[in-house]
Amino acid sequence: MESVAKSDTRAAPLPFIYTPLPVIGMADDVLDGYINGNDPDTGKSVIGEIIDTLTKPVSSRTGEVGSKPVEVEKAAAPQVLLGPDTEDNLQRLFYEKGWTDGLPVILPTEERVKKMLAGTSHAPDEVVCQAFNMDTGERFQCTVENIAVVAVMAGARPEYFPVILAIAASGHSSLSPSTTAHASMLMVNGPIRNEIGMNSGVGAFSPVSMANAVIGRAWTLLSISWGYAKVRKVLWSSQGNNYTYNNMCIAENEEKSVWEPLHVQKGFKADESVVSFFTGWNVLSSLHCAAHRTIGEEICLQLSVIPALNSAATIMMDPLVARTLKNNEGFTTKQDYSRWISENAMIPAERYWKTDYIDMLVASEAAKGVEPYASWKKLPDNALINHYHNPDNVNIIVVGGESSPLWKTADYRYGSSVSVDKWR
Amino acid sequence: MTTDVKYSVFSLEAGRKVMESDSVRPAIGGPPPGIPRAEPSTFTFSKRLETLENKTVYLVDIGFGGGYNFMMRLQKWFSENMPSVTTVIKRKPGRVFADDNHELWDEVKEKGYAVILGVAG
Repeated sequence: MESVAKSDTRAAPLPFIYTPLPVIGMADDVLDGYINGNDPDTGKSVIGEIIDTLTKPVSSRTGEVGSKPVEVEKAAAPQVLLGPDTEDNLQRLFYEKGWTDGLPVILPTEERVKKMLAGTSHAPDEVVCQAFNMDTGERFQCTVENIAVVAVMAGARPEYFPVILAIAASGHSSLSPSTTAHASMLMVNGPIRNEIGMNSGVGAFSPVSMANAVIGRAWTLLSISWGYAKVRKVLWSSQGNNYTYNNMCIAENEEKSVWEPLHVQKGFKADESVVSFFTGWNVLSSLHCAAHRTIGEEICLQLSVIPALNSAATIMMDPLVARTLKNNEGFTTKQDYSRWISENAMIPAERYWKTDYIDMLVASEAAKGVEPYASWKKLPDNALINHYHNPDNVNIIVVGGESSPLWKTADYRYGSSVSVDKWR
Repeated sequence: MTTDVKYSVFSLEAGRKVMESDSVRPAIGGPPPGIPRAEPSTFTFSKRLETLENKTVYLVDIGFGGGYNFMMRLQKWFSENMPSVTTVIKRKPGRVFADDNHELWDEVKEKGYAVILGVAG
């Protein structure tokens, strides 16, 4: 733990003392045991270390007491080739080096990489992004050729490559160093969806479509190449999240949607190809259809369960749901329904404020006087608050094959949208 | 049969260009996406105390779940075992990851002798 804590340049000079985990939710006697017990890192008394740290002379201007900040690792001279070996040995090597997602990869031979490079007009040595390797501490440039290696490993066809380059250029990682179970999602809009056979219909989220599976996987392999999968060094998610195998990679079903596609909402032209990113923790699939309430009410009920962080939500609905909301329930646009959700999805104030991440991340805003949080903080426990107060943060995506009017709700926040056409 | 594997961005075999000019290492952990992170700061520590006896120690909860209760138990420990020590529990202003302000720290400078800051989770 010490080396991880010290990896943060802001925290490195501070003297750290550790207790057992967890702290949250522990009874008083357990916390007393932590204080009177030993630091799991040093084996010394926790309270003894606290008193010593406050009364022991400071050794330098940085205030460090016995520990040095982590130094940035130096990059070794790069090499280009791995030696030739058997398929089995190379697969084992890639896995043991931590370069894969645990599944076998397509080995990136020179010939395969060359074929992948034919999927873009950009030069192999063109820099796509500047990335930071969370494992080694190096900041480096990723070229088109580097990304082609990842695309080959993921199993991509050359025609998928512009989408993968756009993902890389975004600089977003699909994996997070958080101890929580972060998840990511990416969605493609525009003509390239159909050109490369992305699935926006039946089973769009299921493991049946090559383009969805491979493009989503490429994002995680790319994130792994940036060092995000080093367990107990960078990857600390206690349970992990299997959504990150392919990051719920989908395309929006623009042909069947009764509403404007997401990329147009974000300012792109309808004939532009765009990839959009979302992150969060939680996805709830509808268990069945709406029987005795309207679809709008059912989705609203589902969204009321999870306290909203900064009003963020993403609703992924079948085209049948969108059509019903428009034709039967009067929501002419996506924005109309987002606004209705914002006004009608309610949660009791007590449940909202006693949620860990709300207390951690939103209570401070209330204390600073930021509205509506400051006003919500003054409400009685049983008062209802519209926790999706900003309808602009309630995203709607139309995806599915019209075999059943179902939906998914997520706490996912919208990150950004980037052009794919730029990388053709 | 053997296979030549030419490239990999997963290792130093990648042939990638390392940017040596930028050596600032982003922190591991930190806020969820979209939540701003505090900028690094430079600071010096005040001289350590020779003893905590008759001093005021601030117990500052940074906002992670369970931190406030932990500080309450720590306060109880001091009251039972070092009763001459005055402890004051406060919650850090601003979000746990960012946007601190000076109010609390000015109070600590004026009234306190030491700070115990925690608990990260």
